[in-house]
Amino acid sequence: MTNLSASGALLKQALHKHYARNQRWGFMWALWTAILWGAWYVPGTALWFESPYVDIPADAQSLRLAATAVMTWVHAITVFFFLLLWNLVLGKVKDYGRTMLRFRKISKWYALASLCGGPMAIFGSYMAMGFIGPVFAAISSLFYPVIGAIIARLWYQEKISKRAAIGMCIIIFGGMVIYGPSLFGEMDASNPNAWLGYIGGIMSAIGWGSEGAVAGRAMDVSDPDVGIHCRFSFEILFWGMLILPALMLFTDLPIQQLVIGTFTNSKAMLWITLAAACHAFCYTAFYKSFSLIGVGRGEAIGNLYAVFALIFIAAFTLQLPQWYFIVGLVFTVLGSFVMFSEPAESVAQLRDHEASANTNQTLAAELP
Amino acid sequence: MKLHQKGFLLVALSQVTNLWEQALIAQTFVEYGLAGAYSEKTLRIALDELSAAGLITRIDQKLAQHQGQQQLQFRYQLSDFGRLRMIDTGLLAG
Repeated sequence: MTNLSASGALLKQALHKHYARNQRWGFMWALWTAILWGAWYVPGTALWFESPYVDIPADAQSLRLAATAVMTWVHAITVFFFLLLWNLVLGKVKDYGRTMLRFRKISKWYALASLCGGPMAIFGSYMAMGFIGPVFAAISSLFYPVIGAIIARLWYQEKISKRAAIGMCIIIFGGMVIYGPSLFGEMDASNPNAWLGYIGGIMSAIGWGSEGAVAGRAMDVSDPDVGIHCRFSFEILFWGMLILPALMLFTDLPIQQLVIGTFTNSKAMLWITLAAACHAFCYTAFYKSFSLIGVGRGEAIGNLYAVFALIFIAAFTLQLPQWYFIVGLVFTVLGSFVMFSEPAESVAQLRDHEASANTNQTLAAELP
Repeated sequence: MKLHQKGFLLVALSQVTNLWEQALIAQTFVEYGLAGAYSEKTLRIALDELSAAGLITRIDQKLAQHQGQQQLQFRYQLSDFGRLRMIDTGLLAG
């Protein structure tokens, strides 16, 4: 009898360790997302100071948007090669081919995710930057976890506990404290094109939020490392076969010159390569976190990019952030701890399904 | 063409009432010509992901000796939601 209860206790301990390890890995992947996303802003911004982008006047909006489309396409191609290397090392290249080929039922979701995260979110973010300002763009993007969590909840019943929701709100509030005060200097009531910026802000929040939920649908039955590779493959196709050719055909924008100018400038390509290295592994970590802690939690921790972006920019430009950065930092760290303090067992089962009523928690509770 | 590995794990589970993960991993090793601790860990992570998403459920667990170490092993069963998702994604005929 004593032996039986001792082995039961050992088993219960092993179960808790197992769930806690999965939860820790999920949050670690999400934290890597935030770190690499923050790091991405340094080469991503530096690229605008290289030819052919540096020569574009600030008020040439359509040319700036065309340049954005070109750099996003070249960036996606570079990300693709980093992911190819990653999957070669992991031995998942064959699985990538097998998943891509099941387009009608599986990889179409990655194609849709790439539309949400690429043309919709990135384009929207640049609209917000161009027509209102970068601070507004950063703040509107902070709301994407709310959109992601709501879609994941309504679409496939992802569980968001009260503690996770509170943590998410604290992180968003922290991000607003970091960027909010600068917003007052940016808003201009006399700007007749501001509505385009607001639409852009909404597009970026909906685009990034829905990307997680849409990709999660395909990741139910496929591997996250493979999934992100599929997503970037489709993004290359959307920009390279639809959007850029359409811009070339129907506008006078110098798309060809921008493409050639980017590929032939070694400094521009160096920044794109560095940005792509950050983004490839940022997105890999992002997708890996979804399958372990869910879309809502993964995206909320990913929101810490607001903090890391300022830290990296300060490190490279030696421009210290304002004092309120510390207040925002405290809130975002606090929010992360609130989320991480959820019991590991509750994160082990991410969805509410009657069919899976026989959950891990019940199993753990049944043990002596 | 072979199925992708997560798809194979689901199909294998759909063909039986339930299965211990060691047996499931052994089947996958044979199907894809895999071997070694790395591939085994990758498959265990895939099973954790499927379980977290609610496609499969853990109906039993045990501590077993494996390669000289005590290891937590689970017995898995396809859930009704998993069956539905398999039909949605063309892994199972409706």
